[in-house]
Amino acid sequence: MKSESEIIDVKTLPFTANFIWATGFMMQRFIEELASRKILGVKCPGCGYTYVPPRSRCGKCYAKIEEENLVTLSGKGTLVSYTTGHVALDGQGNFIDLQEPAIIGAIKLEDADSTIFMPIEGIEPRDVVEGLKVELQWREETKGELEDIRCFKPA
Amino acid sequence: MKRNAAIIGCGQTKHSSKRRDVNVAEMVSEAVYNALEDAQVSMREVDAFIVGNMPGFGGIAQPEQWLGDWIGAAGKPVIRIATGGTTGGSVGQGAYYPVASGLHDVVVAVAWEKHSDSKEAGATSGLLHVGLGNLFHAASYGLNLKNLMAMSMVGAAAGVAVYQAVFYMHRSGCTIEHFDMVAAKARRNAARNKYAHLQWPGCTPEDIAETELLAYPFRYGHICPASDGASAIVVAEENLARKKARRPAWYKGLASYSDEENQLQSENFGGVGVLDPSEQRGCWVSAMKAYAMAGIKDPQKEIDMAELYQPFPSQELIFAERLGLFDEGTAWMALEKGETDINGRMPLDPSGGVNATNAIGSSAMQRILECALQIMGKAEEHQVPKKVSNAVAHGWGGVTNYSTVTVLGDSPGR
Ligand SMILES: [Zn+2]
Repeated sequence: MKSESEIIDVKTLPFTANFIWATGFMMQRFIEELASRKILGVKCPGCGYTYVPPRSRCGKCYAKIEEENLVTLSGKGTLVSYTTGHVALDGQGNFIDLQEPAIIGAIKLEDADSTIFMPIEGIEPRDVVEGLKVELQWREETKGELEDIRCFKPA
Repeated sequence: MKRNAAIIGCGQTKHSSKRRDVNVAEMVSEAVYNALEDAQVSMREVDAFIVGNMPGFGGIAQPEQWLGDWIGAAGKPVIRIATGGTTGGSVGQGAYYPVASGLHDVVVAVAWEKHSDSKEAGATSGLLHVGLGNLFHAASYGLNLKNLMAMSMVGAAAGVAVYQAVFYMHRSGCTIEHFDMVAAKARRNAARNKYAHLQWPGCTPEDIAETELLAYPFRYGHICPASDGASAIVVAEENLARKKARRPAWYKGLASYSDEENQLQSENFGGVGVLDPSEQRGCWVSAMKAYAMAGIKDPQKEIDMAELYQPFPSQELIFAERLGLFDEGTAWMALEKGETDINGRMPLDPSGGVNATNAIGSSAMQRILECALQIMGKAEEHQVPKKVSNAVAHGWGGVTNYSTVTVLGDSPGR
């Protein structure tokens, strides 16, 4: 009979699997422009639907969307839906309880038709209502990274 | 009663090792819109979409949910098919069923792979089932882990293909020089195909023979690249097909089978399956079924050209025999005589094939697409000079999956 020490305990596989997803040209422009505190969207030349972040093909009318269709948006918007989170992921696959609940909102920016999901700060969860006017908050130093957008706060 | 169905448009992206300018959704939509343009079909006429890439590759679990509205599928049925290395073949066959059944009139099928989104070879070849599939296989032949990993660097299926190649050499009498000839032909043909990846005009077997030996019998010059790319076809019912296309490529016969070797049920696992990985009974059974459906009695006479799944050059020879295009053990002799050249009696992979372009999930779809191009007379620089009435497209799924065989023709059937 085998002793326990002879059984191999496989903790890791003999290879790694990491990814470096290409964001595509439009999304890359969006991220780069965050450094100069600009929010880019695109206005579809076919149907006028305005997407943020920008994309190169319209999902509504199938038109090709080009660089010349890029528009700059104000960073002001309206809350169209929201939720409060009481737990977060710890990066190791486990849940951790949050000290304070976090608000996440779906925001429609001025002149945009699509919505973006962002943290909402500076307001108590019980005071949050649909239709709340909110404004983008930049982090101290913007570097052309998604983290440049810190959160939204009531305007 | 089944209806006739035909491919009426083809679209591809240029294949290369890195398409960093587009994300997966953008790359896939490029192929779809190219196919619609080629078919002169508007997005409004499309009823449904069949999509697929290699399960797990690219690290996106449900890519169809991301790219649905990029390919114009909002509000329309989207079915993802994932059958491993054969995915593209199954996607290309998957577009046939809803049209033949009468459920849909126009279906777009698109398949893709984006290897450059994987940071290292492990991410491309390393999704668990693929890694473990090779591990089991290696164990069954006594290959140690270090060599397995070395081979993973040149493609996940290499662990199978080296043994397969040696088995074939033993039973057919072909040599490593014949693999040099196939690889050189693939690179020369690819140079005439503007969408292909590894293009080498005038490449000779001697050029390939100079490359380093990686794992006997394969040299560096024998191995397929890892490509980024997508390919799409538009499939339509008979009335629309005749209206839209001057020369539609009709689906005449199709089949997909597996065998014990593919299902890891060989003798070494206590099963009763074949041990010779060049046996490929799944391909043979698929071919016989597809030919019967197509009304083809003598493939050597009735098939005009073939596109085979040959990431390794040995596989062009093995599968050409399994598809009944040459007598057992003689494909390498036909190769020597130039019969498999682009202007030969039985052109094999005039596009350059998988050996020159391997966007895995898309590779077996490209075989169908390339056969359609040859029938439609749209293959441009790599159009074979002979008239193509019947063509056979083959897909192979590595160690754990199916073979797909699709017969296309310039008329709807018997
Ligand atoms: Zn639009």
